[in-house]
Amino acid sequence: MRGSVILKWLLLVWLAGVILAAFFYVHPAEGFKGESSRIVFFHVPMAWIAVLAFLISCIASVMYLRRRDPKDDIRASVSAGLGLLFAVLATVTGSVFAKIMWGAYWNWDPRQTSITILLLIYAAYLALRGAVADPERRAALAAVYAILAFVTVPFLVFVVPRIYWSLHPDTIINTRGTNEFDSRYTQVLMASLAGFTGLYIWLYTLGCRIEAIRHRRRQEVL
Amino acid sequence: MNDLMGIALVTLIIWVGLFAYVYRLDRKVSRLED
Amino acid sequence: MWRLLAEALAVAAKDLRTEFRTRVALNSLGLFAVTVLAAVSYTVGPYRIATEDRPFLLAVLMWIVIFFAALAGLDRSFVKEEESHTAPLLRLAASPLAVWLGKLLFNLLLIYLLLAILVPLFCILMGYHVLMVGQFVLILALGGYALAVTTTIVAAIIARALTRGALFSVLSLPLLLPLLIFLIQGTAATADGSLEVIQSTVRAVVSMGGIMTIVSVALFPAVWSD
Repeated sequence: MRGSVILKWLLLVWLAGVILAAFFYVHPAEGFKGESSRIVFFHVPMAWIAVLAFLISCIASVMYLRRRDPKDDIRASVSAGLGLLFAVLATVTGSVFAKIMWGAYWNWDPRQTSITILLLIYAAYLALRGAVADPERRAALAAVYAILAFVTVPFLVFVVPRIYWSLHPDTIINTRGTNEFDSRYTQVLMASLAGFTGLYIWLYTLGCRIEAIRHRRRQEVL
Repeated sequence: MNDLMGIALVTLIIWVGLFAYVYRLDRKVSRLED
Repeated sequence: MWRLLAEALAVAAKDLRTEFRTRVALNSLGLFAVTVLAAVSYTVGPYRIATEDRPFLLAVLMWIVIFFAALAGLDRSFVKEEESHTAPLLRLAASPLAVWLGKLLFNLLLIYLLLAILVPLFCILMGYHVLMVGQFVLILALGGYALAVTTTIVAAIIARALTRGALFSVLSLPLLLPLLIFLIQGTAATADGSLEVIQSTVRAVVSMGGIMTIVSVALFPAVWSD
């Protein structure tokens, strides 16, 4: 069997394993209400992918402005679409978690605020793409906006959370350097991160291939 | 079967279903490319 | 460098002359600001908010009015070039950087005019007592700049899109939200005198304005050129 086929089936087994492990292998973590700590295995990787996708979109945007290769524009838009999807998933899983832990789906704590702004950025980016007819103008303007949005993000991620008290659980590897969770938890979380990254890579390459075909078809018609 | 097993099962089914869908799409795209 | 400045000032002067003739942006900004201010003043007024909440809530209201007034009027500078078909001429007549600087100056003037009229009116009508007035003005000045520089490049982006007005707000808001949050916190701090919050706000707003400026200068040619 070809290598890529093996990898895809591996992904199936891997993430299936992660799901099973999340529910049956791991013990509920301390400091979390009930079984809510299990949501983290899905929520954190989704948020991570949302950010990764944004990063890749921005890198592709910079590349597009430098060499004006339509493929870079495809990469930027595909990654943005995926990023939006994962951002929505992260928001939904996050609010379910918030409901269990603190009784309310939405609190506007800094992390929730940041993911909302990321959602707004993605939505704005896609709205912009939809509003420009000419492909080259669209690619250039979208690329510029992606970069503009990207430079705003550090202020959110690093500065906003520090200013006021956050309900959001501290990141797993906290500043004290000690792990608050047992090793099983960390294992499964890392495995989940790896699996989701693999899923993203697959969806991303697939999306780029589809757009490349569409692009080619359009050129043929012209 | 308790609630936890139920959620686990649903999640698993969602994942397998999703995988099947994307895999079929992948195959279709590969055919179009050749 | 002087040539750049001269070109930019020429662009800004032309925009100002056109604006005073037609008053479109001034009307949008002014009308919005006055209407909302009147509504807020009438319904909320200087007495309805409890003393301990005043610094914060009044800061929120003030900046919301400013931001939305800005979103109502600041896309004008580029949109009018497209509408009157003078954009190609401008591309030939001035360098991209000069155009950007000129439009920025125009937007800055509009914002500062808005702030100069709106803020005192707001403070009077709403009974906003600010403890550290110097810092208050500083935050307004820095915030106004950051607002202007961000909206200028976004205006350039949407000028040739299909759904301009809505798109301008949609694109600007994610970029402006962090700024808004900082400005509100900083302004609230000037009203009750918390110095460290003010300092961190000033630092943040200066960096945001600075980074937006650098990125705008780097990217504007890509947006503007054909």
